[in-house]
Amino acid sequence: MSRSGWITVAACALVLLALDVLLPRVLNPYYATIVIRIGIAVIAAVSLQLVNGFTGQFSIGHAGFMAVGAYVSAAFSVYVGAGWLEAFAAVLPGPLARVAYYPMALAAGGVAAAVAGLVVGIPALRLRGDYLAIATLGFAEVIRIAILNVDAVGGARGFSVAAADHPGADLRFEGFGTVYAVALVTIVVISRLVYSSGGLSFRAVREDEVAAASIGVPATRVKVEAFVVASFFAGVAGALFAHSEGYVHTNSFAFLRSFELVVFVVLGGLGSITGAVLAAAVLTAAPELLRGLGEWRMVLYSLLLIVTMLVRPQGLLGTRELGFDWLRRRLG
Amino acid sequence: MNGVAWGGIYALIALGYTMVYGVLKLINFAHGEVYMVGAMTGYYAAHWLGVAGAPSLTGLVLTLGASMIACALLAALIERVAYRPLRSAPRLAPLITAIGVSLLLQNLGQIVFGADPKFFPTLIESRNVFEMGGLSVSNVQLTVLGTALALMAGLELVVMRTRFGRAIRAVSFDAPAAALMGVPVDRVILGTFVVGAMLAAAAGVLVGLTNPKIEPLMGVLPGLKAFVAAVLGGIGNIPGAMVGGILLGVIETLVSGYLSSTYRDAIAFVLLIVILLYRPTGLFGVSQTEKV
Amino acid sequence: MALLEIENLTVRFGGLTSISKLDLAVESGAIVALIGPNGAGKTTAFNVVTGVYEPTEGSVRFEGRQIGGRPPHAISQLGIARTFQNVRLFRGLTAIENVRAALAAARRSGSADVLRPPRWRRREAELNEQARSLLERLGLAREADAAAGGLPYGEQRLLEIARAIATRPRLLLLDEPAAGMNPSEKQALRELVARLREEFGLSIVLIEHDVRFVMDLCERVTVLDHGEKIAEGPPDTVRRDPRVIEAYLGTGGGAA
Repeated sequence: MSRSGWITVAACALVLLALDVLLPRVLNPYYATIVIRIGIAVIAAVSLQLVNGFTGQFSIGHAGFMAVGAYVSAAFSVYVGAGWLEAFAAVLPGPLARVAYYPMALAAGGVAAAVAGLVVGIPALRLRGDYLAIATLGFAEVIRIAILNVDAVGGARGFSVAAADHPGADLRFEGFGTVYAVALVTIVVISRLVYSSGGLSFRAVREDEVAAASIGVPATRVKVEAFVVASFFAGVAGALFAHSEGYVHTNSFAFLRSFELVVFVVLGGLGSITGAVLAAAVLTAAPELLRGLGEWRMVLYSLLLIVTMLVRPQGLLGTRELGFDWLRRRLG
Repeated sequence: MNGVAWGGIYALIALGYTMVYGVLKLINFAHGEVYMVGAMTGYYAAHWLGVAGAPSLTGLVLTLGASMIACALLAALIERVAYRPLRSAPRLAPLITAIGVSLLLQNLGQIVFGADPKFFPTLIESRNVFEMGGLSVSNVQLTVLGTALALMAGLELVVMRTRFGRAIRAVSFDAPAAALMGVPVDRVILGTFVVGAMLAAAAGVLVGLTNPKIEPLMGVLPGLKAFVAAVLGGIGNIPGAMVGGILLGVIETLVSGYLSSTYRDAIAFVLLIVILLYRPTGLFGVSQTEKV
Repeated sequence: MALLEIENLTVRFGGLTSISKLDLAVESGAIVALIGPNGAGKTTAFNVVTGVYEPTEGSVRFEGRQIGGRPPHAISQLGIARTFQNVRLFRGLTAIENVRAALAAARRSGSADVLRPPRWRRREAELNEQARSLLERLGLAREADAAAGGLPYGEQRLLEIARAIATRPRLLLLDEPAAGMNPSEKQALRELVARLREEFGLSIVLIEHDVRFVMDLCERVTVLDHGEKIAEGPPDTVRRDPRVIEAYLGTGGGAA
């Protein structure tokens, strides 16, 4: 990496650290939860953008992979990780022990979801268009109902991320810094993946699969790759969700959640990472900010959704990205 | 037997999905909510018409009629406001407005109808008309099935024998060509929504007869499953949706009866996946290859 | 040994025979035309050679290797490129992105794209340079950053050729490259195709309806009718072949 690259990384790390320390002190817990949920929504939305926006494969079952990540990482923490965390805490100061442990829980969730993505993706991605969409929806529901029937993770009761036999290990984790660091990594990884010459393969498949194959793009492979990478980050988002809420229930990952993610990517603009970020942030915050409206809140939210789509059918940003270039052009 | 009754209900809803998909290639996710509104307006209509207290066949017919008209109007409104302006937009835009309309109806429903479950009035006194071994058939189940079949037969007649039906088939086959031949495509699409909504409304009233507990979120899961039924029969295929619906109802009931009821909701989706992977165009679909 | 050897090729769809017992050989460095009335099986032949369809019977060999039935992307990587009768560009991408996609398709590395080490930067700059020079050679330099779908039709056809050449093929298949062009554009295209063969060491097979276009450009012509080869040889001989004249006149002309 170049020197300016390292400086950027260091600056980001500093900002995140400051956020991590400051935010819990200035925000009340309710807003703090919203801010974390926004971060998680951003991760899930950006990862889905890789599949739906850039590769042109329409998945409407992304929440299924979040569920896999959430449950596997939660189970990992409760049945395995709690012991490790205790062992770490014996030799390291508390915060450091957690810093050392949490990446493992997140990775467990991500890898499990990626494997699920591979298993689902290989057969499903042979399908096209609406049929693929329906299949992903079906897979997500099957995943959800299957989890509902596993007693070791609480079944219909839901699953608390707490280990009774390791009282010393606090598995709950509400790090702003962590959530937003992961969000940043997600954005950087996916935008680098698609905005490079090799990454043009994703968009080539989106534009015309037959033509893509004719220039040597292994279309099926590219689709599966996109699906697996997206599932990985969805799984990490699920893991973050499980550990920050401290409790998971399959209801959080029903198809309404999948739809919500689809809304983020379409409303933000298919093929725009910053669009997905924007839409995820605004639409996650909106229902909360509209809470004053009481029962009319979700009515207004859905009206907003319909009207935005009618006014801007190509999404807020289309395929453009907000960025320094864009700002510079705007400001002249 | 309960399975066949449910199957009839799924089939009625599935028809709306399949017809709209046929003409617009749009998965109308708001369709499950139309079914919910059908059940709700049926509930109110039965009370207003004063047929709630006194079970009778006329009462049922009146209730059905009222709820079908209400949903027809609703569907026409939805089509005009949320879908028609997006006819030439990217294909995903109407999908999002469909989701928006679905959320809107769910939440508006909770305000207008109240979030608590209501109990659908008894329009038919339930009694078993047939009993043999473990199999028992009630007159309610028979009415549900009979009404569903009658409506489907009516639809088949409309689609195969009328000018409107021919226009629907023409638009499904090739909308631009149909437009060139002078078919009023916009009106046909509107008509398709209306007919689909009327069938869903009927399904809502019929479900009130067998499962009287109705609430604003009742459309979500049956809507999704009916959609599965439509895929099962080959989406866009009208007889396919009927068979798919009944098949799904029966399989679900068999599975929850003989295996485990916790997996009841999963069956539809497992079935969906199996069908998609082995016969993506459904049981009765015709496969199409892309021309290069 | 010829570069491309098609032997006894038959392609059937259901009961419909699209190509029947076709033999065709393309020598290295040759420009060969495939002509014939509509529905003669010309595009089907391209689709089999590029892996879009599988042969029902017979063999397709490229540089001695059996390629019939391999997937399209693998065949492209072996060195066969093509354009499409109805132009299939990546319409939402810019012209230069269309070319870059083709340059990079066969050697992608996701991890390098994400980590971006110094050699990634060098390669990326190199690809950009190559893409730009290719566009230049096809006279598209000014359109580099325009959306491919918005280009005039003639330029779209040229861009599709540029994209095909970017895969570094040894055999290039052009499906009606001159369709929809006016005489002066056709003249320019003819010169361009001849020049591209020299510059990139290509062998070219082209499908074309315009017989004059074919006569001046190609060394050999193969005529298909109803999926069968009815004539083959130098343009002048083929033009006088009674079977060819009958095939064209019999279907209502088309040979101008």
